[in-house]
Amino acid sequence: MKNRKTYLQRALGISLFVSLILSQSCKKSFLDVPPQATPPAITFWKTASDADKGVNAAYADMHEWTNVAFAPIALESMGSDEAEKGSSPDDASFMNDFDTFTATSTEGQISDFWAGKYKLINLCNQVIDNVPGISMDANLKARYIAEVKFIRAYAYFRLVRAFGDVPLRLHLPKDASEYNIPRTPKAEVWAAIEADLNDAAAVLPQSYDAANLGRITKGAALAMHAKVDMYQKKWTDVLALTNQVMTMGYSLVPNFEKEFREENENSSESVFEIQCAYVDGNSAASNSQYSQVQGVRGVTGGGWGFNVPTQALADAFEPGDPRREGTIIFRGTTTAEGDPIPAVGDNPMYNYKSYVPFSHYHSGYNEGCQQNIRVIRYAEVLLMNAEAANETGNAAQAIASLEQVRARARGGNNAILPKVTTTDQSALRLAIWHERQVELAMEFDRYFDVIRQGRGAEIFGPKGWKANKNEVWPIPQNEIDLSAGKLTQNPGY
Amino acid sequence: MKRIFTISGLVLLCFLFVNAAFAQDITVKGKVTDASTGETLIGVSVVLKGTTTGTQTDVNGAFVLNAPSNATIRFSYIGYATQEVAVNGQSNLDIRLQPSANELAQVVVVGYGTQRKLDVTGSVATVKGSDISKQSSTNAISALQGKVSGLQVTNSGSPGASPQVTIRGLGTIYGNTGVLYVVDGVWYSDISFLNPSDIDNISVLKDASSTSIYGLRAANGVILVTTKKGKKGTVTVNYDGYAGWQTVTNPVKMANATQYATLINELYNVNNTTPLLFSDPSKFGTGTDWYGQILRDAFKMNHNISINGGTDKSTYNFSLGYLDQDGLVKNNNYKRYTARFANDYTPIKNLKLGYVVGGLFSQSRDADGGIFHQLYGAAPVVPVYYADGSYGDPSDFNLGGGNNYNPQATLDFYNHNSKNYDFTGNAYAELKFLQHFTFKTTFGGEIGQAESTGYSPVYKATLAQQSTTSTLSIGRSDTRNWIAENTLTYDNTFGDHKVTVLAGQTAQRYKSYFINATALNVPNSSEGDHYLSLGDVAGRNVSDGGSLTTAVSYFGRVNYSFKDKYLLNASLRADAGSQFYGSHLWAYLPSVGAGWVISNEDFMKDQNFFSSLKLRGSWGKVGNAGVPINPTTLVVSQDPSYTAIFGADQTAHTGASVVSVVPPAILVERGVGTDIGLEGSVLNDQLSFEADFYNRTTENAIFAIPILASVGTASGTIIGNQANIRNRGFEFSATYRSHSSGDFNYSVGGNFTINNNKVTQVTSGKNPIYAGGNGIANGALATRTVVGEPIGEFYGYKVAGIFQNQSEITGSAQPNARPGDFKYQDMNGDNIIDGKDRVDLGNPNPKYTYGINTSFNYKNFDLLLDFQGVAGVSVYNANTAFRYGNENFTEDFFNNRWHGDGTSNTYPSAAVGSTANAAPNSFYVESGAYFRIRTAQLGYTLPTSILSKWKMQKVRLFANAENPLNVFKYKGFSPEVGGSPTNAGIDANVYPLSATYTFGVNVTF
Repeated sequence: MKNRKTYLQRALGISLFVSLILSQSCKKSFLDVPPQATPPAITFWKTASDADKGVNAAYADMHEWTNVAFAPIALESMGSDEAEKGSSPDDASFMNDFDTFTATSTEGQISDFWAGKYKLINLCNQVIDNVPGISMDANLKARYIAEVKFIRAYAYFRLVRAFGDVPLRLHLPKDASEYNIPRTPKAEVWAAIEADLNDAAAVLPQSYDAANLGRITKGAALAMHAKVDMYQKKWTDVLALTNQVMTMGYSLVPNFEKEFREENENSSESVFEIQCAYVDGNSAASNSQYSQVQGVRGVTGGGWGFNVPTQALADAFEPGDPRREGTIIFRGTTTAEGDPIPAVGDNPMYNYKSYVPFSHYHSGYNEGCQQNIRVIRYAEVLLMNAEAANETGNAAQAIASLEQVRARARGGNNAILPKVTTTDQSALRLAIWHERQVELAMEFDRYFDVIRQGRGAEIFGPKGWKANKNEVWPIPQNEIDLSAGKLTQNPGY
Repeated sequence: MKRIFTISGLVLLCFLFVNAAFAQDITVKGKVTDASTGETLIGVSVVLKGTTTGTQTDVNGAFVLNAPSNATIRFSYIGYATQEVAVNGQSNLDIRLQPSANELAQVVVVGYGTQRKLDVTGSVATVKGSDISKQSSTNAISALQGKVSGLQVTNSGSPGASPQVTIRGLGTIYGNTGVLYVVDGVWYSDISFLNPSDIDNISVLKDASSTSIYGLRAANGVILVTTKKGKKGTVTVNYDGYAGWQTVTNPVKMANATQYATLINELYNVNNTTPLLFSDPSKFGTGTDWYGQILRDAFKMNHNISINGGTDKSTYNFSLGYLDQDGLVKNNNYKRYTARFANDYTPIKNLKLGYVVGGLFSQSRDADGGIFHQLYGAAPVVPVYYADGSYGDPSDFNLGGGNNYNPQATLDFYNHNSKNYDFTGNAYAELKFLQHFTFKTTFGGEIGQAESTGYSPVYKATLAQQSTTSTLSIGRSDTRNWIAENTLTYDNTFGDHKVTVLAGQTAQRYKSYFINATALNVPNSSEGDHYLSLGDVAGRNVSDGGSLTTAVSYFGRVNYSFKDKYLLNASLRADAGSQFYGSHLWAYLPSVGAGWVISNEDFMKDQNFFSSLKLRGSWGKVGNAGVPINPTTLVVSQDPSYTAIFGADQTAHTGASVVSVVPPAILVERGVGTDIGLEGSVLNDQLSFEADFYNRTTENAIFAIPILASVGTASGTIIGNQANIRNRGFEFSATYRSHSSGDFNYSVGGNFTINNNKVTQVTSGKNPIYAGGNGIANGALATRTVVGEPIGEFYGYKVAGIFQNQSEITGSAQPNARPGDFKYQDMNGDNIIDGKDRVDLGNPNPKYTYGINTSFNYKNFDLLLDFQGVAGVSVYNANTAFRYGNENFTEDFFNNRWHGDGTSNTYPSAAVGSTANAAPNSFYVESGAYFRIRTAQLGYTLPTSILSKWKMQKVRLFANAENPLNVFKYKGFSPEVGGSPTNAGIDANVYPLSATYTFGVNVTF
């Protein structure tokens, strides 16, 4: 009987235990499990720190793969006369389709380029729509919004240049009914870009303290606006904007080649520069592959060897122009930083402007992940100023601005790069365009610059470029399919 | 809640007087043996008919039972025909049970109970533990391949890896498509922790009415595993062991060095690259056989020992297992130690208490997962070592970038170890009261920890394989799961009416967590140095993550039968999973089943053709909780890639934002299944058969589909209820067992399944879901999921031939092609080859699966031969075109390639990796059909005369071969590819197929 009692107690214990579990499990809270390691969005956008994080995400996304690597090479460089695929012949041979203008709407790089820009635009819109509701320092809040408006304008600029009319999203979609929107006429997109840049320029400071170096400045907004206006041939505006930037204290770095090395990041010449770094222990934050994809192939610390200079580019430099050796790494030479380039290799030339000395490579990280990407340099501001002055009939100012660029390139050697003196508008125009070609070579400017100049057929025609078609790339087929036909294809594709 | 409390109270009350409720009668003793072999049967259920009073036979097959002198005793045992014997005052009964001849008389394990097969109205297949442990598979589920109709097992080949299992076709698209495993009542999504020799039996629940009782976890089918329990009687000790080796079979022959150099030169010619890379290809001879260099015949051994015994009051089973398996890659090794202890008490009549605990410890020296692809690409012109002992370097041969490494260096400098600790188990109490009620409460769970340590040293092997810093990586992951269940069963017979009612309740919680950390330049003089804190302060990295889900459920079931002729079953389960919290929380999942035992009808009495015959039909609903967690909750992403850089010193600033969109609401993904089956036996029970027609639809399948990229999400997708999927098929299985009492006995069984997988509706309307990008260049996608077609069908261009010369290209639809390129069929005739010309190229979901299982016994010899295969399936051979530069080719490619006008109209030139040629197309889609000898085993059991001298019960010696013969046309390593639903069948991992040969012994003391 004693035993039985013990068993009874045990059974009682079990029953109690069971009941406990039952009562536990019936509580609603047992089922209300919060998302793990991904906080719900309703807890976000509450503090200044959230606003800061949101802005940071937009900055960081500017150097993500689709924004600086293969997709820009395909859409913003391959079509030009200055670069070709490179690498091994069969590695990513789809790049050739962009070089020969045979790329179709299903090419992966086209949808990558598109998606990359819209992902960046979403990050900006998150800030623009959510940060106004946060109670925080009003000045900082305004600056945050101005910074991302610039980034959004930059993304739309690249989209409208590559595709023409594109869906314009200036706010987050409220619900599913706003996911599928048609293409907005490009004039409206240009206007939206200008509005964003005006808003940005009105708020952003001219410079930051050391801790905030690298954030978007007023100068960047004005210069970007000038470039946007240049594409629309608003020459008076370009002139006014560049004149304004030229009073802001920028100057050219004396040594052209050194301007692109790490020691000259955020230099006096830097107007808009995407900030990249090797972040210790954080390879995801060190995710820029800009230098890696273009780096010397087959060398540790080099890279994949895509987007290599063409002979046409090498030949475009005037005799003795030091920018040739500062733009192109030739096979079999030794770089100014002391890296020997193997004499045998897949490609005879590589992009010097994206080059990071091989010894700076960290195992487990992307080669050259620390290289900042110079998007707008003061040299381009001067060249835009020169072009706008020339287009508005002010040859003297055009020559003066142009000469500043040539003088730096000359590096004190008066035997080379003679001063351009012609005041003939069309001759001067050609001289300025040529200067853009060599000064901005391999900086992802040339392709759309030539199209803007109206010389697409003349310069790219021999490799297949056709007017009234190749001014823009096709809209990604996936996107048209997903829109159930709401999005239309560009003519000729 | 209140109700359950009342029930608990009732349980306690009943407990008291049930004990006093029994009268004593005569004592019946006896022994139960196998009617055909005379072997004693251990653990046979011996029960008074119409009651729950009973016992089990002990290790000598003996039983003792008190019974009224006019009672009928029922003997039942899995795999044997149940026998009923009237006591008629006899005190000694020797019973000979017929081996599972009459299928319908078998007892089978079903959800939350056991049933006579006669009473089952759904489709349930059972496999005996001995059929699994007999094989040399280290994973129990691998051993089920070919054994059960409707069950498709895909073994990946990598050691220790769990196979992919689907029951009756692929019914879901998102994430885990795996079945639910219920081991002794505890739920798992993987049972690799289980030593196959600890398994007593397995039930595969196939139709929705059988699985419905498992509710939200049942969508992909349920496999019930019962592990070995103790048996009454004297102590028995079993030892099973084997040792042998694993060897690569059906290897793909790669091009040799001369062939390779020839091909690379041809590639350079096609690309107009000068000068050619190799001036004289023939000077390389055959070069390096990289597979031969890195792979080996791998040793494998396994030992299991178990002790089993018990008394009337308690029984126990204790087992220990040890497995030591080398991988096919040199240095790769896996060791597994398992222990399992089952203990059951019957402290007082009608109360049973017990527990099972299992422990696993495994440690492995891992192989670099990337080495197989390196082996495939490695250039045979590169020597393993130069004469001076240094590594052969692909860069010395100007092979350029891409996937060209010295695999020996990869092997030598890869240093990664993993350990797993896993504790599983459950405890239960079962109380019988008021004669017909059984209350059972169980609590079980899993505590798991996985550890990994990797050390990548400072080294310089080749230009591409070197590092100036060392890295220590440490990873930990934890699993903490529990499940608590209470069931109340009422079982009674009223004349011709037999009723069983089950009510139950469950609560579950699943939590996992992982953390990974790395540090640079940690010293490595011994394992004692492997601490992150010994490394550089700079460059440390930590990441973690986890998941947590909970569920609460209530369920009930009624089984009714009339005169053992007419059967009716119905169940309902209400499930709430935290995944759906805030959305449609509760899912109500019903099922019904009906059966007609034709052979028990009076009009069948006079025939003797059918020994048994039953027609059954069922319908049920199941749910799928294997869906994204909180799919309607918008979340913040603080991915490290959102880190911004500011400041003169370039400091990192944390970024976070919202980079997704979510649906406003989501419905539970449900499966609805119908099954109609006919089962029975003929020829005096010698030939049994079972045929099923099933239709299984998945409604509101939850997965992510592409969303307009302009919405700007990071994934480019949105989760939602996206599609309806249907699997419809037919299963047939039959087994012939000879009933000879002579020296020769045999059985031959076969099973065959036809399954048709089809997407019947997609929410996105006409928009197909494209996927299948692994191993395919340029972001091209090789599969398409669209209404009217199977999930993840291969999709691409149809190859019409090869361009032989420039004149064929000029004016064709591919003006940019080069001679030797694929000529694609212009399906829409617009004279342009673009995305619109793509067509369906093949189905990765097998249409036919089959198995043949035979066993022969002659005197003391036994022979087992199992065959298995699939047909009506395609595989995408992505390896051929997965190239970055100068990787190697297969010898088959060399022999058949285009290398000049008229040389081939099927294989392209060496530029097979170019974007145009590598675009998904019909050339890469091959038949994935195969047929193999799955197991061949020859055994010899020592005669009893010798054994009795040695005081042993049984000694059996055997030789076993697994996968000794594989027949297939596929040009890759193995047509068993697997993969997630929309990426299935794309072969980009090149794991070689292997055969295992072992010799072993089974001993019982």
